[in-house]
Amino acid sequence: MIKVKNLNAGYGKLQILFDVNAKIEKGKITTVVGPNGSGKSTFLKTLFGLTKIYSGEIIFKDKNIAKVPPHQKARMKIAYLPQTNNVFANLTVEENLKIAGYVLDKDKVKERIEIALNVFPELKDVLKRKAGTLSGGQRQFLAMGMALVRDAEVLMLDEPTAQLSPKLAEVIFEKIIEMRDEFGLTILLVEQNAKRALEISDNGYMFVSGRVAFEGTAEELLNHEKFKEYSLGITAI
Amino acid sequence: MILEGAIIYSNLLVLLALGLTLTYITTNVPNFAQGSYAIVGSYVALTLLKLFDINPYLSLPVLFVVGAVVGLITYLALKPLLKRGASVEILMIATLAIDLILLGAIGAYSEILSQIVGSTQAKFVFANLDFTLFGFKGILFVSTFVIILLLIGLYLLLYKTKFGIALRASMENPSLAQTMGIDVEKTRLFSWILSGALACVAGGLLPFMQEIVPSTGDLIIISIFAASIVGGLRHISGALIGGYIIGLSESLITYYLSQAFGTGFLVYGKVISLIIMILTLLIAPYGITGVDWRKVKKMLFTS
Ligand SMILES: Nc1ncnc2c1ncn2[C@@H]1O[C@H](COP(=O)(O)OP(=O)(O)O)[C@@H](O)[C@H]1O
Ligand SMILES: [Mg+2]
Repeated sequence: MIKVKNLNAGYGKLQILFDVNAKIEKGKITTVVGPNGSGKSTFLKTLFGLTKIYSGEIIFKDKNIAKVPPHQKARMKIAYLPQTNNVFANLTVEENLKIAGYVLDKDKVKERIEIALNVFPELKDVLKRKAGTLSGGQRQFLAMGMALVRDAEVLMLDEPTAQLSPKLAEVIFEKIIEMRDEFGLTILLVEQNAKRALEISDNGYMFVSGRVAFEGTAEELLNHEKFKEYSLGITAI
Repeated sequence: MILEGAIIYSNLLVLLALGLTLTYITTNVPNFAQGSYAIVGSYVALTLLKLFDINPYLSLPVLFVVGAVVGLITYLALKPLLKRGASVEILMIATLAIDLILLGAIGAYSEILSQIVGSTQAKFVFANLDFTLFGFKGILFVSTFVIILLLIGLYLLLYKTKFGIALRASMENPSLAQTMGIDVEKTRLFSWILSGALACVAGGLLPFMQEIVPSTGDLIIISIFAASIVGGLRHISGALIGGYIIGLSESLITYYLSQAFGTGFLVYGKVISLIIMILTLLIAPYGITGVDWRKVKKMLFTS
């Protein structure tokens, strides 16, 4: 679905990503893990066009989209959920859902909102509330609901379970699986909770200092020596 | 009567502060040329009056369009700087430069107009053209009407249209708005166009309450900034609240001080605005709309 070739990117003159190569397969969950500051968030931002790309290609549906501005990527059915501030706090839940369908026509938005509310029924009771007043879990549901409204084919999630209780995190993981299996979404996931994330994933990449340290199927990663050390916190890598 | 003047002044200040706040939220530019925008409006209205005998009240739609163009040109001039991620200080200096250019252009234009009309146009008022209703000045009703129209228009735009919701979304979080497919650039363009348009309309009304000279804008800009800052630069409703606070207190306090200590005090009106601004910043750094009332409540109940 998405092929990343020799990607070098960063913020202004500060390069963060070095020669990243990756493949995100259609209808699968691909997870990026790695220590703090290793460039996982930057990787997602770069795919969405929110950083500076020095060189490399991002091939999506046989086209290099490296230079496509973010607001046009939304039209290409790519959705990106930032790590923080992923909903509009001053807008109501309903307005957030509507704005998520900004690029769609009116009837389609209605239809999509209904679908999103079926997947996230928790949102039905809070439609008129400002998103800023929601709990952490509700806010994450809203952000994911918004991606469903957009009718996206690719969903990039940056640490969706951060700061949630283990119980809520589990619910989020279940919703992510549902989005892959019921809606056929291609999912690119960045997670702190690396072990649990890989357990629900098909493929994985481990980032270290802005480079791909190793890659493989989720199972391969889970069984990789380095990954075990990393998740046990033995080495900082 | 003094209250009448204070309300008129506040209404016009709201029109001006609203534009300032709007462009600050969307583009992070503190626009020091906002006061001179108004004076451009004043002079366009004067021109239409002198050359075509059009009542300034009837020129307001024209001023709206002229102001829109002025706002648009300013934004296009600033865009290269914005693209390079210029700091707020650089942007401030850039708008000061634009203000100086406008000031020079207005001064030169007033000379040209004086020659065409055959009498000096460096100073003027419209007060003699105003009507009265129930013993009040016409400008009181017109400026209030303009504000009501603006508020209704803004409400419908921001809460009932798709573009308006997108505009609010972009103001809160432009990068997230982009990920939704919103062309944030359009919302920036819109805010500058509206800001210029409102300022020029205010400028058409200003000569009904005070004398205009080419540099009047540089005195008013102090009150505009005070209004926007006191209300809070992060919410457009701040301009409304700040506009009335500064407008009313500046007029009323100066008036009472001059009653008590002599008319010499009238000169210090702007000082009052600055003092209120500083006091507000000390208590509420983000202005009145930036105050977290839930926190205040907590503080009051726990202490
Ligand atoms: N907006 C930014 N400007 C400059 N540097 C940034 C910015 N965002 C992140 N960085 C830097 O990029 C590096 C990678 O950060 P990030 O991608 O957020 O890592 P991760 O998500 O893996 O924790 C860090 O060193 C961070 O300080
Ligand atoms: Mg991160």
